[in-house]
Amino acid sequence: MLRYLRLYGHFMRFSISRALEFRIDFFFRVFMDLAYYGIQIAFYQVIFLQTPLLGGWNRDQTLVFMAGFLVVDAITMTVVSNNLWFFPVAVNRGDLDYYLVRPVSSLFFLSLRDFAANSFLNLLFAMGIFAWALARSSIPLTVGSVSLYAAMLMLGAFLHYMMHLIIILPVFWLQSGSGLHGIFYSMSRFMERPDRIFTGWVRKALVTAFPFCLMASFPARMFLEGLRWDVLAHFMAVIAVLFAVLLVIWNAGLKAYSSASS
Amino acid sequence: MIRARGLSKTFRVHRKEPGLMGSVRSLFSRKWQQVHALKGLDLDVGAGEIVGLVGANGAGKTTLVKALAGIIHPTSGTAEVLGFVPWQRKNGFRKQIALIMGQKAQLWWDLPAGDGFLLLREIYQIPNDTFKANLAVLAAALRVEDKLNIQIRRLSLGERMKMELIAALLHQPRVVFLDEPTIGLDLAAQRAIREFILEYRRKENPAMILTSHYMEDIEKLCERIVLMRDGELVYDGPVAKMVSSFARHKVLTAHLRAGETGPDGPARPDSAPGEILEWSGASLKLKVDRAQAAAVASHLLQTYPVADLSIDEEDIGTVIEAMLGKGPSP
Repeated sequence: MLRYLRLYGHFMRFSISRALEFRIDFFFRVFMDLAYYGIQIAFYQVIFLQTPLLGGWNRDQTLVFMAGFLVVDAITMTVVSNNLWFFPVAVNRGDLDYYLVRPVSSLFFLSLRDFAANSFLNLLFAMGIFAWALARSSIPLTVGSVSLYAAMLMLGAFLHYMMHLIIILPVFWLQSGSGLHGIFYSMSRFMERPDRIFTGWVRKALVTAFPFCLMASFPARMFLEGLRWDVLAHFMAVIAVLFAVLLVIWNAGLKAYSSASS
Repeated sequence: MIRARGLSKTFRVHRKEPGLMGSVRSLFSRKWQQVHALKGLDLDVGAGEIVGLVGANGAGKTTLVKALAGIIHPTSGTAEVLGFVPWQRKNGFRKQIALIMGQKAQLWWDLPAGDGFLLLREIYQIPNDTFKANLAVLAAALRVEDKLNIQIRRLSLGERMKMELIAALLHQPRVVFLDEPTIGLDLAAQRAIREFILEYRRKENPAMILTSHYMEDIEKLCERIVLMRDGELVYDGPVAKMVSSFARHKVLTAHLRAGETGPDGPARPDSAPGEILEWSGASLKLKVDRAQAAAVASHLLQTYPVADLSIDEEDIGTVIEAMLGKGPSP
């Protein structure tokens, strides 16, 4: 475990050094993510000009939820997104070769090698928005409730990562992954809305097989409406099942990996 | 150290007709073809051996290397490297092998090689003292001590390859796979890398498999050659034996004494037996049947004012081309 932390320390140092080499690109990416945050806040402000409640939440409660998914988004953008974005290209070009001969988990290496330094700055902004939203809410803040919310958001980010990877892993068989990324980003829009606006089989799918509503909505619900053990158990069960599915597809994918001609 | 039996690998490849219409047709109806990259291949490599893997493009060399390095799963057959099944990718196996691909970089493009080496120290859990000692030895041997803190992208191709070699060998692997390590390098860099590989073999005694299209790599580094064609072994044995068994010609070179050939020099020896490879007036190079080499040498000595005469084997590339059926028939 300590070895992997040290490895991650190297990844972070290298990535930050590299990101700072290209200053304009660095600040442009920071600005791009900030614009996305601004659009999300404006979007909900406009919605609440039309209605007092959305999925059972008022404006302040929805802001708490929205700040939560901004944190989830910023965590994934900082930690894994760059890596997953280039993953299909690496499979297609045979660039996985060197990762596979290293005596460390290939999944760890491929998922975490590139730390997005610019997005880390945005993660700090997202955390600021998160603190602002919590302070505005009428819910009494305790160390326990805030810690639980933060922990569930981190698990939500882990779910986000697993779903992204599961959706792009078929690249081992398809050889091209741009459409797969498109599918994931389209589906991930579900994460940005409160879960109760969905009903019927769509809602069932979004809390089980495609658990986008678990990533930010459920953590916010636990914070706003109190801890429910059955919901927490469901949340953890989905994570465990998804992780098992991920490993099965990953191992099958490596078996199918054909590298590329030299 | 390396043992493969009946190793086969078949790829399913989509065959697209050329042009836009071919692309449109392939969207609805695809033609697939089975490509047999390896066909039941047997191979053994012991410690201290450098085996040259030679064949035309598409012969299956890189596929064999990638199967033995654990990167791809074979379709059938077995292999053991250091007692491990490569494609199970156990850490105990991966800690003891190294792979160097001349056409793919493993170091971070925007960072100095020294930073990449620190990451590799962590990955391979190399003790700090050993790491420093190994790095010093390798960098000195390749004469790049002063380049360790320069970004990879600012290094020349030769320097980058040297850094790749250091990266691959820092953990003192017992099995080394070298896939085109000198590709694209100038002659001086090629020579430096060959000398380094020989020196490394002398010190560490690893099993090495080398693929290269440069015959000089094979001649200078390998005592044993494995010739591949269409996924099969055509020849597996000593380089010298291959040449003596399969070369049908010898090359005779005669240097003539100046001043003894008249003011216009000697007449071009159009009637000389064999094929004239070079004729300058001062020297003559002939390719002749092996069986006739002695007789032709005697003829040259009697006919021309020969100052010096040498009889050499055909170059290894010509022999290999002939064996693979691409060059002049042997």
